[in-house]
Amino acid sequence: MEYELEPFNWLLAIGRWGSVTGAIALIAVAIAFVASVRLGPSGLTYFSQGLTDFIRDLLSMSPTRVLAVARLTLKEAIRRKALVVFVVFAVLLMFAGWFMTSGNNRADISVGVQIWFLLTAISWLILPAAMFLSCWSIPEDIRTRSLHTVVTKPIRRIEVVLGRIVGFGGVLAVVVIVMGFAGYIWIQRQVPANIKEQLKCRIPVYGDLIFKDRMGGLAKQGINTGDVWDYRSYIEGNTRARAIWLFNDFDENMLSDVDGDGRGDQLNLESRFESFRTIKGSADSVEQGLEAQFTLVKNVREEAFSVFGFSPEFRQFSTELLAGQFQNASTSLSEIASSITDGAEVLEPSDCKYFYEASRVAIVNMNYLGEGLDEIKDGFEDAGRAANLIKTKDDTAAFDNFSKTCARLSELLAEHSDHLLEVMPRLEVSLPNVRVTEYHKGQDQVPIDRTLTFTADYESLARFLASTITEQNEAKKLVSGESLTEDLARQLADTAGMSILNSELLVDVLQEELDAEILVAQDSMLSMANKISWINYFDQLVRSERLTSQDPEGWRLTADIYDDLVFRNTLRIEVACMNDQMFIGMARPDLFIRLPDNPFAVGYSKALLCTILMLVLVVVIGVTASTIVKGPVALFLTFGVFVIGQVFHGFMSDILAGQIESSGMISSGVLILQQRNPMAGVDVSRQTQNIIESADNVSTSLLYGASRVIPDFGLYSQSAKYVENGFDVPWSTSMLPAILTFFGFLIPCVLLGAAFLKFRELEAK
Amino acid sequence: MVAQENVIEIRNLSKVYRDFWGRKKVQAVKSLSLDVKRGEVFGLLGPNGSGKTTTIKMLLGLLFPTSGEIRILGRNAADVQKNEKIGYLPEESYLYKFLNADETLDFYGRLFKIPARERAERADRLIKTVGLDVARRRQLKEYSKGMTRRIGLAQALINNPDLVLLDEPTSGLDPIGTREMKDLILQLRDEGKTVVLCSHQLADVQDVSDRIAVLFQGELKVLGEVEQLLELRNETEIRTGHLSDEAVDEVKAVLAKHTSENSTFQRPRADLEQLFLRTVRESGERPGRRFTAEEMAATQPTEGNNDDSAPSADADTEDNPG
Repeated sequence: MEYELEPFNWLLAIGRWGSVTGAIALIAVAIAFVASVRLGPSGLTYFSQGLTDFIRDLLSMSPTRVLAVARLTLKEAIRRKALVVFVVFAVLLMFAGWFMTSGNNRADISVGVQIWFLLTAISWLILPAAMFLSCWSIPEDIRTRSLHTVVTKPIRRIEVVLGRIVGFGGVLAVVVIVMGFAGYIWIQRQVPANIKEQLKCRIPVYGDLIFKDRMGGLAKQGINTGDVWDYRSYIEGNTRARAIWLFNDFDENMLSDVDGDGRGDQLNLESRFESFRTIKGSADSVEQGLEAQFTLVKNVREEAFSVFGFSPEFRQFSTELLAGQFQNASTSLSEIASSITDGAEVLEPSDCKYFYEASRVAIVNMNYLGEGLDEIKDGFEDAGRAANLIKTKDDTAAFDNFSKTCARLSELLAEHSDHLLEVMPRLEVSLPNVRVTEYHKGQDQVPIDRTLTFTADYESLARFLASTITEQNEAKKLVSGESLTEDLARQLADTAGMSILNSELLVDVLQEELDAEILVAQDSMLSMANKISWINYFDQLVRSERLTSQDPEGWRLTADIYDDLVFRNTLRIEVACMNDQMFIGMARPDLFIRLPDNPFAVGYSKALLCTILMLVLVVVIGVTASTIVKGPVALFLTFGVFVIGQVFHGFMSDILAGQIESSGMISSGVLILQQRNPMAGVDVSRQTQNIIESADNVSTSLLYGASRVIPDFGLYSQSAKYVENGFDVPWSTSMLPAILTFFGFLIPCVLLGAAFLKFRELEAK
Repeated sequence: MVAQENVIEIRNLSKVYRDFWGRKKVQAVKSLSLDVKRGEVFGLLGPNGSGKTTTIKMLLGLLFPTSGEIRILGRNAADVQKNEKIGYLPEESYLYKFLNADETLDFYGRLFKIPARERAERADRLIKTVGLDVARRRQLKEYSKGMTRRIGLAQALINNPDLVLLDEPTSGLDPIGTREMKDLILQLRDEGKTVVLCSHQLADVQDVSDRIAVLFQGELKVLGEVEQLLELRNETEIRTGHLSDEAVDEVKAVLAKHTSENSTFQRPRADLEQLFLRTVRESGERPGRRFTAEEMAATQPTEGNNDDSAPSADADTEDNPG
């Protein structure tokens, strides 16, 4: 997939449309005003009368008359045998099968080629008809004077223009629908039964992609191996390098309901990575490819506190927060506060700025963690605000204030450390490795059960044991009299889902702790002598390796993807390369959540709708052009606009966005004449260079204007690419821009066409 | 005829045709001022290039005046609303050739937003009126020129207009069609409608017009009522039944007493149109018969007798396609 997947900002688009259309309207009115002023006082009367009439025409437009012209257009097209295009299409379909048997053994490519042929045939067969019909109709009406008989009836010129567009649009829509229906049947028969499942509409949900470098630091890009320049970034194998996809707005509905109980129970991922080997190896190893590991990560502490690490002075503080060592973090912060009070110039204003930003991030994240954190949030708020007041290194009052708020925050961190650890978990669940081959041969589907079983690390084990014991304790099932309940090991194995070997180990350890009077059994409940939290208690036990699994498989725990691994509606998936000195490359669309597929007909219909919109847009431009110039000129103009819009629009946008380096039209010409390369620049005097630069600025402005008034026809062919590649056509990134672009051009074109037709003399000699 | 309210008011109307560069090519109309009153038939005469059609097209808003003012049915010429009550038959019938007569009238009826049933009734009535009933399902590209004029006239009347502008209405019509057209114009006038026509067929204009204007090289040269303009004030015409030679001599003697000028005596002659219409009618009544000059002369009606009912205009439907 090589197309832009950025969401379409329709508000921005409408705003830009308004400004461009408004500017064109103002220019048109200004030109009309200047032209009328030349006629003297009567000219001004003509101007005001013309403007009033035009606005009145718009307001009194009648659908009846528009439809009358549309019906006439429809009859004209039918009786002038424009629909002969059907015959050509039928012939193409009849014989296309001979040439469509692809030598490619990949089913998806083979089916894609057939869909491409079908959609291309439909649009390119009708395109000439759309251009000829629309560009010739009004000039022909003017030439034969049929229009004179029409416009001497109470019909507005805008109704003529709109009627023509609606009529031709209707004809083309009918043609596309009929062809599309025939084509659908054709492709269903054409595709062999064994690969028919390739006729599908996958619905991808894309995430944002960031990277971690080999040292674990966050980065926007991975490594550039020189392969597929600028598209895929690579991560190095067997290091801390990761590609991290953040699926924001993750929803429970994104889980597929496999067993039909109405509840999603599977997460379907699909990946398409590229491997890059620094050591070629044997043919077998190349064939086997590399190994990638997917890890689902919920790391609340990292989300909340990683920004503190951007400041070197708070890096220690940040590391301790990330590790969940809130007591240590409290101490670190307290030391910083003390050193400030002691007058040691440990902090730069930039450190304080980072602290302020980090505090805001921490507060935002803590807002998602439920109640009981108000005090600590206030602590971050106060310290952050105080940090933000520090603008210079000499501002001792501000530093003192910051020191006090830090000291207070330090106390709060110590006070709430147990609660913070409880509500800010870090959970990582790794999935079995997947293979990544060179020249990715198709897509790799990775179905993941909603409930994942994984081998616990220290933190997750401590967290699991703490919650199990708390639960059993509250149910008063742990203690019987002053000792542990008889057959507790079996009970824990049954209720908490741990293996019998591990539950026996847990009971043994608890018994040892009871014997050592670290734990106390009373009132049918188990409690601690020193009153620390269960999670801290088990953390210490786990880290002291007294609870090392007796089961060879380790402590096997379960996690629910939605309930346990999503934070702030975001699902985070990290991908690592497992092979030493090898690289795996990936781009944003290379991993996506695959929602339940839509039927092929859905995406196919959307592509047909886009084809209709494209053809009608061609008609709109053709009809508009034909209101001011004769048929052949209108045809030339429309064809030119289409070719530029289809082929060069992206190129123009890239130049204007600075994504393609260009030295300007005139400069380039001078460079060619002087036979110099762009790096050397033109060899002219400073004054001449200024003139050239000014001229280039003008040409760039013209290019900007052209990119705004020429529609991006690529938007419409893009929809076909989705369907060819087995994807549904997304509304937000494809359909919505296509529809808005259509109306964005329809409205000003109709107004322009109506104005051209109204203010020109049909009988002018 | 009582004509009071002005349906068309033209004041100092001028039209200059310019080339692409804005240079003057020709002045088609020069300071034209005239009024057309409600309920009259107004003839616009002039040789080729005199500005008749240009004036009509400026009235309809197809051309913009270079200077001057036009009020038509109380509105500006550029106002589309005025077209609600105007019927226009262009110089050539510029219609869509791929439609048939029914579809043509239906299309133009829709532009006036006439309700479907009424539209169908009017179309049916007009098609019969203009004599195209048997050809109503044929596409216009198969029509002769005369038939095209007829359907053109029908479309001009689809909205029951108050003002009918006819540019060369009899052009391309056979004598029967011409006669019918003239009868129709008079019928429209009798219905209280205003008719403006411009034509080279002076006899036709004379037959139906109440007032005429003669343009020459874009300028108004003559304007007035037909009767007044054509009256020969220094002559007297007496018409009577057949007189013997003796009676003629007696009349001559009497006239000699009252005027010194020579008086001429001759038998009055019908015009060719009347002869043609009579021939067609007689042929219909007595098929296979060939008429001698004497027979036709003996059966000539006297001038001014308009009781000739023209044979069915359906005959025209057998014309070769134009």
